[in-house]
Amino acid sequence: MAAPVFIIGKGTITAIGDNTRENFDSLIQEQTGIRKIQRLDTIHQSEIPAAEVKYTNEELAAMLELNPTTTRTALLSMKAASEAYNDAGLEKVKHLRSGFISANSVGGMDKTEDFIKFFLEDRSKGKLHDVVNHDCGASSEIVAAKLGIKDVVSTISTACSSSANAIMYASRLIQNGVLDWAIAGGTDALSRFTLNGFNSLMILDKEFCRPFDDSRKGLNLGEGAGYIVLASEEVVKFLGLNPKLILSGYANANDAFHQTASSADGVGNFMAMDGALRKANLRPEEIDYINLHGTGTSNNDSSEGKAIERLFLSKIPLVSSTKSFTGHTLGGCGGIEAVYSCLAIEEETIFANLRFQHKMQDLNITPVTNTIRNKPIQHVLSNSFGFGGNCSSLIFSKID
Amino acid sequence: MKPLYIIGSGCISPQRTFDENYFFETVSPRVNSKLFCQEPDYTNYFDPMAVRRVSRILKFGTAAAKIALADAAVAEPDIIATGTGLGCLTDSELFLTNITKSNEGLVSPTAFIQSTHNTVSSLVALQIKSHKPNNTFSNRGFSFESAMLEALMIAAEDSDTINFLIGAYDELSDYSFDIMSRMVAFKKEAYESDNFFSEGSSGVVAGEGATYFMLSKTPSAKTYCRILGCKMIFQPENDVVFTESINAFLETNRISIDDVDVVMSGISGDSKRDKILQVVNKNLFVNQTIVAFKHLCGEYMTAAAFGVWLGVNMIKRQQIPDATIIHNRNKKPNTILVCNAYKNYYSLTLLAK
Repeated sequence: MAAPVFIIGKGTITAIGDNTRENFDSLIQEQTGIRKIQRLDTIHQSEIPAAEVKYTNEELAAMLELNPTTTRTALLSMKAASEAYNDAGLEKVKHLRSGFISANSVGGMDKTEDFIKFFLEDRSKGKLHDVVNHDCGASSEIVAAKLGIKDVVSTISTACSSSANAIMYASRLIQNGVLDWAIAGGTDALSRFTLNGFNSLMILDKEFCRPFDDSRKGLNLGEGAGYIVLASEEVVKFLGLNPKLILSGYANANDAFHQTASSADGVGNFMAMDGALRKANLRPEEIDYINLHGTGTSNNDSSEGKAIERLFLSKIPLVSSTKSFTGHTLGGCGGIEAVYSCLAIEEETIFANLRFQHKMQDLNITPVTNTIRNKPIQHVLSNSFGFGGNCSSLIFSKID
Repeated sequence: MKPLYIIGSGCISPQRTFDENYFFETVSPRVNSKLFCQEPDYTNYFDPMAVRRVSRILKFGTAAAKIALADAAVAEPDIIATGTGLGCLTDSELFLTNITKSNEGLVSPTAFIQSTHNTVSSLVALQIKSHKPNNTFSNRGFSFESAMLEALMIAAEDSDTINFLIGAYDELSDYSFDIMSRMVAFKKEAYESDNFFSEGSSGVVAGEGATYFMLSKTPSAKTYCRILGCKMIFQPENDVVFTESINAFLETNRISIDDVDVVMSGISGDSKRDKILQVVNKNLFVNQTIVAFKHLCGEYMTAAAFGVWLGVNMIKRQQIPDATIIHNRNKKPNTILVCNAYKNYYSLTLLAK
């Protein structure tokens, strides 16, 4: 068996908190971050709710000592990645081989869409600093440079499963001896591009989303970033740590059904979860909690639920979708939910699936509706499924 | 990491590379500033309805992957990993334009759906009905290399995976060229390969392309060569640091510099950008035949994939096209080092017969 990859740090920023501690507090107090849009300049402000990070770009830039023209995607990434860096005490292992493996779905689109207004009027117009960081790799370059990470910097963009795939890639880099430690996860900023994109697909709920509820009408978008620090045994020893968490399993599968829709029985979802269990060498009944992808769309929740029933049969673990707090943060959700999965184990807590009332008619799955504390948890499965049939599952485990 | 065999390839580029009988006998056209792909008849790869429905990048990206699959005679690879610097640009631009011009009115979702970076990788999976791992990297000049590294790592750790479809795509779009023109110097004059790379020459040519490879743990009748390793070096301070990286990389792969026959240099044609690559070409690679490729495919974030394709095919054909030669030292192309740079992103890929 391959050497274990330990989790030694976390960082996150979302609509429910500026850091991991604040996120945890909001989660256990069952305070959602979804509200009326306030920051994003869009005509849909009063009509479509979303989960925005409360700071303006200028405030984030000042906090992080970055240029205020930096894309919001990079600012959110920097905030969460630097928290993870400090949380793990990586300053002491700077000399070892380091990586920053990030993810996002639309790169610096939040700035590009400001640029394009002027550019469409006149091709010599629009400020270039608003478009130079359009690509997905730009934010990773900015953050890695600021943190002094140089050995491997990479970015994955597989829609909503992006950051789960970044965590897998980072784990591989460590297990293959390419790196000693890596910060891995993802980021995405709310943009008019994605808001109007999902709106054109008619999968945005005008009310607060209700994942896994029979009356669900769609998702709410969110924004944020989440990263975990993965490290080899040598790093752990060097730092004198006694970590309790490992990434024990993961898998990536493709649904191969439709560009944006999931197959009715969730073939890809099933294969991702099943593959992660095999990789972790676990039986389904050993999973204590599933952090669902649970977007709140009719299609996702039904396919994900069907796949869970097929895999877990009558022994369905406790499940909840924390997107009822954070909204769907797209390229960031796998990273944010990895942080939440680790918190679940460390804090012996199962988070609530807000606003759930009615079980889906064709499914026998009832998510956790009230926070459960003091619940020993050994293994958590975290799902991230996206456009293009990209399905990924991660398993986080407590070790003795 | 263990070497993998390359058992299939597919490339759609500004040259006639989709045609297996073509190997740079003629090079065309020497246009100014931009090189667009020469595209095959897509009805060989898509049903006629789909040809009309999907955007250009989806067509040439997916077709390149299908050429590689057919070439290797593999129906379903064990993983699909793609790199793209800028994704499906035209679709992104179209959707952005639609929502901007309509002031966020009712717009068709088609361009939004096709704009996602993983569209090509997932369309390949959809077409061949593959549930296997499917990934898309988007990290500037390391997008393709990240996908290749993933294949090499999975090959090392997992005994069940045999065949790996890896590739890269990027497209040149109307908006992107106009935007880049405001920041990047492009060659304005028509050029020939002898003055393209000459000292003091400035500006690059914008390019595009899609390239896929089938890598395998086991050789086949079709085997082109082996891929020994791949290394990414971000922002080497100077040529001394880059030279050290090259030496260390060769040592890791147990290859001495004298074993390298051909250096596939990713020089872009802009003397300023090419400074480090030109110094190593001059000082380190004194016995190697040096070839270049960016006058053929143009400069873009995943142009390295075209360079690797060219190297792989040189080994297979045992032929170095005249159109690529910078310094001829009469070497048989058996071991090729692809030395690419896209701005600060440097990478090395080692190919051997």
